[in-house]
Amino acid sequence: MANEEKPMEISVSDSEPVWVFYRDRGDWKDVQPLPQDDGPAPIVQIAYSAKFRDVYDYFRAVLKSDERSERAFSLTTDAAELNPANYTVWHFRRLLLKSLNKDLKEELKYIDDVIEEHPKNYQVWHHRRVVVEWANNADEELFFTKNILDLDSKNYHAWSHRQWVLRQFSLWKDELEFVNMLLAKDLRNNSVWNQRYFVISNTTKFTDEVLDKETKFAMDMIQKAPNNESAWNYLRGYVFLCSSLAEQFDAIRKEYWSYVSRSLAVKYGTLAQE
Amino acid sequence: MASDAVRQDFWREKHVKFFRRCLNVLPEQYSSLDTNRLTIAFFALSGLDVLDALDVIEKEKESIIDWIYSLQVLPDDTNKNISQCGFRGWRIGAPYNPSKESSVCLAYDSGHVAMTYTAIASLLILGDDLSRLNKAAILSALRTLQLPDGSFCAIPEGSENDMRFVYCASCICYMLDDWSGMDVDMAATFINQSLSYEYGIAQGPGLEGHGGPTFCGIASLVLMQQLDSIFTNKQIERIKRWCIFRQQSGFQGRPNKPVDTCYSFWVGATLKLLGAFEQIDYSSNRNYILSTQDNVTGGFSKWPDCHPDALHSYFGVCGLSLMKEPGLNPIHAAVNITQRASSHLSKIHEQWRQDKS
Repeated sequence: MANEEKPMEISVSDSEPVWVFYRDRGDWKDVQPLPQDDGPAPIVQIAYSAKFRDVYDYFRAVLKSDERSERAFSLTTDAAELNPANYTVWHFRRLLLKSLNKDLKEELKYIDDVIEEHPKNYQVWHHRRVVVEWANNADEELFFTKNILDLDSKNYHAWSHRQWVLRQFSLWKDELEFVNMLLAKDLRNNSVWNQRYFVISNTTKFTDEVLDKETKFAMDMIQKAPNNESAWNYLRGYVFLCSSLAEQFDAIRKEYWSYVSRSLAVKYGTLAQE
Repeated sequence: MASDAVRQDFWREKHVKFFRRCLNVLPEQYSSLDTNRLTIAFFALSGLDVLDALDVIEKEKESIIDWIYSLQVLPDDTNKNISQCGFRGWRIGAPYNPSKESSVCLAYDSGHVAMTYTAIASLLILGDDLSRLNKAAILSALRTLQLPDGSFCAIPEGSENDMRFVYCASCICYMLDDWSGMDVDMAATFINQSLSYEYGIAQGPGLEGHGGPTFCGIASLVLMQQLDSIFTNKQIERIKRWCIFRQQSGFQGRPNKPVDTCYSFWVGATLKLLGAFEQIDYSSNRNYILSTQDNVTGGFSKWPDCHPDALHSYFGVCGLSLMKEPGLNPIHAAVNITQRASSHLSKIHEQWRQDKS
């Protein structure tokens, strides 16, 4: 218990501010903290730190009074740092961004750091997406997702955000080049192959010429690394596409597409024969 | 490739203790699970059920049931918070209330679709009769979470939307025996459109096929009884192939990624639902899963010699149960609970149907 009464962060240098509990802050004296009522026999308890308890007791109080203030905004920063997965914190922060008419560019800079620290957190990526949407400005997004992908080139959240940005803001121009750059680094990166398919299906679409070019591209990659499932799947994807084009979308050219599918199968082995 | 490695030991008793500990107190570094305590409770409870060890919490069952119900967001007299109903992930200030009657209704106090799913599943595991659920409110709130593309958000305030929440919503409708909680056709179309060129299912259209959403998509269609109308036989065969190719020793979630214990469930359960589970190599899968056990603390991690956690421990034992490991209860792959808990659900459904007629 004695430990609980002490602040968790103790200053080690002049540059680091000393952590002061909200309950000890003069400018929060008017707020009655609201602890969680977990009942007589709680399960999956968490041994919260004193700081966590303090911040969330005040955050609950602020939610209850729906206080839209600067101090509430900085409280969400503390709450998000202690638990970046708390979706209510992010939702309330967004309400405050609007109510207080905050600078969205500042917010994006802040969320840069949070994502860099928690690159696989769903809530922070969602927050970024909403803020980008509000700002109606995606200038930083391709650069930002590239940086995150530099750290982990298969990060699903980063790819998902990037696809949303490409579609939403029609930023297709250099994406195939980006894909080629990443494939040159690692031709086994399946996420990049998927991105290639995504770019083509949203830009040039699957014309004759593109089908030719892409199947040849996949074959070249297979020759470089015959055991690379990603390249095979990409090639198979094109073969299947021809047969489904025949069946569904372009019935009048059904015979033609079956012919293309058959010839691809002959050219690349029996992979289409199933 | 048949593995002839020595048959490894399965440390059942240690895993029972591990799940038991998850239900007690987690250390401070798990603070980011504060909004997911119900999910952890589900992993631990269902884990104990798969291990056939629910007797270790026999005395606490009633108080655990109360604790779960106390997380239900109930409608007030005016129904103005009806779209917020379901089970909350964390306590934003409402007093502890395990009953079915609402006491106060707070702004921002909303259910989360994954918590609603895991809460109901946990109640079933504990043998509860679900009588304190406000079914109408849960279903009504669920409908407001569905987006025009058929997918679901997690909370009414808005969140990311993907295949995970389509699955949670499907499980909720299935368990409540009432599909008025969603537009089934729209949800099924979303799943169809999320099938990637590789024939894995992605979190959403255009994204990369992945073991997790592949399970979520297929299991949802099975629960909706829509699998055959959404995918052709040819497509199903290709999905099976994609799944089978995920086995390396254990399973990976995507091509050219390392194997991870949880995919023995995600991909394994998908193959089970598609009737192709027998085509995998049992002994390599078993050896991989067992290599990720922690033989000191119990529990499983995603890779050998890593820290075990509740999620990987649960999916580790489920992965073994799919292969009929002796001593483990069989699971109902689509709802992700034991067949024992699923038969209890069938009895509740029978009762509900009788009450209606």
